[in-house]
Amino acid sequence: MTQIAAERYTGASVRRSEDPRILTGQGRYVADIKLPGMLHAAFVRSPLAHGRVLAVDVSAARAVPGVVAVFTGADLEAMTVPGPELLLSLMGGGGPMPEYTLLATDKVRFVGDPVAVVVAESRYLAEDGCELVDIDYENLPPVVSAASALDAGSPPVFANLGDNIIGPHKRSEFGDVTGTFAGAARVAEFHIDVHRHQNVPMEGRGCVASHDAACGVMTVYAATQSVHVTRMGVAMRLGMEQDKVRVLAGDIGGSFGLKIGASREELAVAAASRALGRPVKWVEDRVENLTASGQAREESFEVRAAVGDDGVLHGLDVKMVIDTGAYPVMGTMVPTIIEMMLPGPYKLAALGFESTAVTTNKASYVAYRGPWASETFVRERVLDLLAKDLGLDPLEIRLRNVAPRTDPPFTMITGRPLVGVTSKESLERIAQVVDIPAFRRRQAEERARGRYLGIGLATFIEAAPGPRSPEGPSGPMGLEHMRLRLADDGVLTLFTGQMPHGQSHQTTLAQIAADEFGVPFGQVRVVVGDSDVVPFGLTGGSRSATMTGGVTLHGARQLRAKVLDFASHLMEASARDLEITAGQVLVRGDPDSAIPVGEVARQAASGQFGADVDTNFEVEASFDGGEGGWSGGSHCAIVEVDVETGLVKVERYVAAEDCGALINPAVVEGQIRGGIAQGIGAVLLERSAYDQDGNYQSATFMDYLLPTACDIPRIEIVHLETVPLDADVNFRGVGEGGMIVAPPTVVNAIEDALTPFGVRIYEQHLPPARILELIAAADLG
Amino acid sequence: MVDITVKVNGATRTGSVEARKTLSDFLRDDLDLTGTHVGCEHGVCGSCTVIVDGRAVRSCLMLAVQAAGSEVTTVEGLAPDGALGALQQAMWDSHSFQCGFCTPGFVMQATAFLSAHPDAGEQEIREALSGNICRCTGYQSIIDGVLLAAHRSREIPCGREADRGGRR
Amino acid sequence: MKLPYVEYEAPTTVAEAVHLLAEHQDEASVLAGGQSLIPLLALRLARPAVLIDINGLGELSGVSVTDGLTTIGAMTREYVAEESEMVAGAVPLLAAALPLIGHEAIRSRGTIGGSLAHADPAAELPAVARALDAEFVVRSRAGDRVVPAAEWFEGYLATARRPDEILVEVRFSTAGPGTGVAFQEVARRHGDFAIVGLAVSLTLTDGAISDARLAFSGVADVPVRAADAEDLLVGKSPSPELFEEAGRRATADIDPPADLHGSSEYRKKIAATLVRRGLQAAADRAHQNNAHERQ
Repeated sequence: MTQIAAERYTGASVRRSEDPRILTGQGRYVADIKLPGMLHAAFVRSPLAHGRVLAVDVSAARAVPGVVAVFTGADLEAMTVPGPELLLSLMGGGGPMPEYTLLATDKVRFVGDPVAVVVAESRYLAEDGCELVDIDYENLPPVVSAASALDAGSPPVFANLGDNIIGPHKRSEFGDVTGTFAGAARVAEFHIDVHRHQNVPMEGRGCVASHDAACGVMTVYAATQSVHVTRMGVAMRLGMEQDKVRVLAGDIGGSFGLKIGASREELAVAAASRALGRPVKWVEDRVENLTASGQAREESFEVRAAVGDDGVLHGLDVKMVIDTGAYPVMGTMVPTIIEMMLPGPYKLAALGFESTAVTTNKASYVAYRGPWASETFVRERVLDLLAKDLGLDPLEIRLRNVAPRTDPPFTMITGRPLVGVTSKESLERIAQVVDIPAFRRRQAEERARGRYLGIGLATFIEAAPGPRSPEGPSGPMGLEHMRLRLADDGVLTLFTGQMPHGQSHQTTLAQIAADEFGVPFGQVRVVVGDSDVVPFGLTGGSRSATMTGGVTLHGARQLRAKVLDFASHLMEASARDLEITAGQVLVRGDPDSAIPVGEVARQAASGQFGADVDTNFEVEASFDGGEGGWSGGSHCAIVEVDVETGLVKVERYVAAEDCGALINPAVVEGQIRGGIAQGIGAVLLERSAYDQDGNYQSATFMDYLLPTACDIPRIEIVHLETVPLDADVNFRGVGEGGMIVAPPTVVNAIEDALTPFGVRIYEQHLPPARILELIAAADLG
Repeated sequence: MVDITVKVNGATRTGSVEARKTLSDFLRDDLDLTGTHVGCEHGVCGSCTVIVDGRAVRSCLMLAVQAAGSEVTTVEGLAPDGALGALQQAMWDSHSFQCGFCTPGFVMQATAFLSAHPDAGEQEIREALSGNICRCTGYQSIIDGVLLAAHRSREIPCGREADRGGRR
Repeated sequence: MKLPYVEYEAPTTVAEAVHLLAEHQDEASVLAGGQSLIPLLALRLARPAVLIDINGLGELSGVSVTDGLTTIGAMTREYVAEESEMVAGAVPLLAAALPLIGHEAIRSRGTIGGSLAHADPAAELPAVARALDAEFVVRSRAGDRVVPAAEWFEGYLATARRPDEILVEVRFSTAGPGTGVAFQEVARRHGDFAIVGLAVSLTLTDGAISDARLAFSGVADVPVRAADAEDLLVGKSPSPELFEEAGRRATADIDPPADLHGSSEYRKKIAATLVRRGLQAAADRAHQNNAHERQ
């Protein structure tokens, strides 16, 4: 009797199913799509930050051989249904909505604002056409800073709003703010700035829209984080029934929050396809991506901190201003999350928070990996600044403030319980992995030689998806759905609304399904990217590990139960005594009884069984997140600052992470390292810069600098023992954490390196020139 | 329009192109070899890297007409019939990539580099690949893939060329 | 970012190229390596009517050393010069600068002549040419003309090459015994254009500096020779104090541009640091070479 053994996949670094095609150039990205009769679009974009459009003359452009059509903003208004931006209307930041047209008609509001679209036989010809579109603008004074936008006299970016303050100016208080500040041993004040930077996926935005007039169906090949949300956006704007819009997505070259819904350009392209009766492709180039796709993180904070002489932070009072650029969408929602997350895993007793969102003549604020990340930056910067004032070590001040794991769990003053949070353990783990006292000795020796090394720490938690709440599903965006089907070839297919763009879902979900259902990994297929076929879903918010991992686990178990119920008829055994192992259905302990699961499925499909026997091997499962939970951890960086040039080298980087149970350690670690790289990039290299006239200055990779293989060190990752909260689903999200906590980790280290100069840092972007300025200013002060 | 003949992945290919068409667009649009990706069109990101006459080059910084008479290798040409060459295999084993958009550029650049520097260590590999940008991985897994390929190639005695996969 | 329409010529001889330039003058751009020109075309910042592709001019490639003069053909690829033992021995400053130019893929196509004719003040080769008083040989229908480096760089991306001339070769004097070189730069990332760069060559004779050459990239719209610093150094023994003073002299009169990567003041500061570090590195190598030569 040979035993049938099953390989266990969950928890193993199973090689990715995606890779054979990726590594051989067989991936299929939007730019790779070719359809018969396909045309190419290019956009005419505003060269001004703020202006009135007086006249648009497209006659010369239309005359270019190979140019098939030119649509102005006015044309597109006639071709589409006017209305508010999809995401804004779905998530509603509150307050009056700015009114604007799909492409600019009467006004342009940022450099790069699309004004017209040229459709031609090739992208080369379309760009030739764009150069010949003649537009008369009246220059208007641009509003280029939050400070000027706050001025009631600044020219309104949106006429219907009257001024440039767009977010409700609301103050919340949690705990006894007044009393806490009145009774504090010390009150410190800081102004902290986070600079504008952006997603920059290696693949920009783009789509191919193909309208079939004969059956009234619009097919959009998209690069998106959700085919369903894109479908909603297209249907809404084109005035079509959702089921007449089909959105397909293949491989996607990264997104980091950028590619959600349908952009103004994509909607214009869809409308053009419908008007022309031919497929139209638009692939944004790098200048467009950097200038016009959207930017993030431009926020400033007035912070008051009520602290004891022992370094315990009792209260924070924060006033935030967020610059949401022109055409604000995401920006109005970010302050709410920041407010909720500011206390972090600390015993903060009181929080006052108010925020103001302004609109300016810059690219729109979009979601960028951990959109609320500034709460961790502010909190972890403040702790270090307080530690310095009090003569405390950065590890020590955090240990004094971190909430220990108690039962019932400590609750953040803003309401969420810190159930299962291992922040204290993560700090202790850092101290084990990094010999901090030895570093301090080395630091002192090197200082004597004129070399400046520094060490920085930071701690974070992330609601990935967050703890179970009485209100409903863990985390935002509701229940997660999945359809699972066993075919009569024995292949288990998972249909999910997840839309991987680097997350490796086609591997990780198959690992879970293989384990829970009982088939080999290679016998599971994950279907994504077809709005006609997959249930609603969105990849984002670090939700998929828990939500999709969980629905896969439970759905696979449900389907297994169904199959075994049926098999009990086939095999004349009780379902209780049956199992599915390595793709075989067998009586437990009797390998000779094994039947391949495909054979069982074929029997079920044969029609031999009565109506009382369930032979439909398909399950529609949904999952509410179970007990949910937090992800989090502590990071530590050691840097060297060359105080003559301002160049910073990250010598060592350690991440002590708790992201629950790991589905695929290699995938998890890749996500963590990628996020950390973006955080290092933000501090040392990346800035979306505008001059005082609103001209965009970081429009190519010569000026918007991304970190390279020489900028990111080997990142050591230690996984903490997680606290299981749920009986079954303890996978937690990890996609955003690295990007959230790396910036303060690195800034803290730089400030530590510059301690001998008396430097204090209240900002996130530290290019070499800035470091020398900080040193010089501290010398003078 | 200029008529050109180029050897691409071992096959003679012809085309009729405007002089202004880049090699990257010619490969992708005229020859349907979409494995070469376009990430910036100004020669910084390296996604478009191919091998021309034995040297890794940025195909967005060459005109198609300039490749006439040359031998070009793209990612599709590294291993026949969609099989994986040794470097690609090592990268698969090392979980080198995530979204995959930068991947062909890295594979081509690393292929050219390892060909000339089979004994390269980590720092040399990092510098050699510092002209290729990846936004997803933080590079460590890519470096590990290249190191693994280099390590494996040293374990194979000379003469077993087939095992060296796509490297010359 | 697609290139605009251009006419295209691919001459097979230098004479043909010269003829085309005489015909088209400043309506033509010469396409050599393309690593600088093609991005400008893609951004539609350059709008020539004609591209004259000189990649077919094999006669313009090659390195030769005769009688203390190293001649490098304009179409010599940067990677070829980088791998050339002749260049390493005869023009060590050029050999030191070449690996800093972009990345290997750029150097696969980029050319010595192309970089010097493009004359980006932030690039490495213009600073090297200026430091070494290289000679530029240009050819027109009227014949050849030799332009010294001091006159070659006229302004931002502007050289003394007339619209009907083609750069055919660049000549460098062979480095003498006891010479040590360094090319130092402050760049945001490995392979980037330097914010400020410095080409240094020092010759030590009997422990004293007998020849000193310093030229900056990135501090003006052309490479800048630090003549005052050179005057200070000649005849003296290397020392940290001397190099510190040289740094002050070298940067006293420069007024560098400001951009996203650094203010004028920042560039001035790091320029002085580069002088100190560059001179030390060059002096160390000169000592080594002297010791080596004595063996």
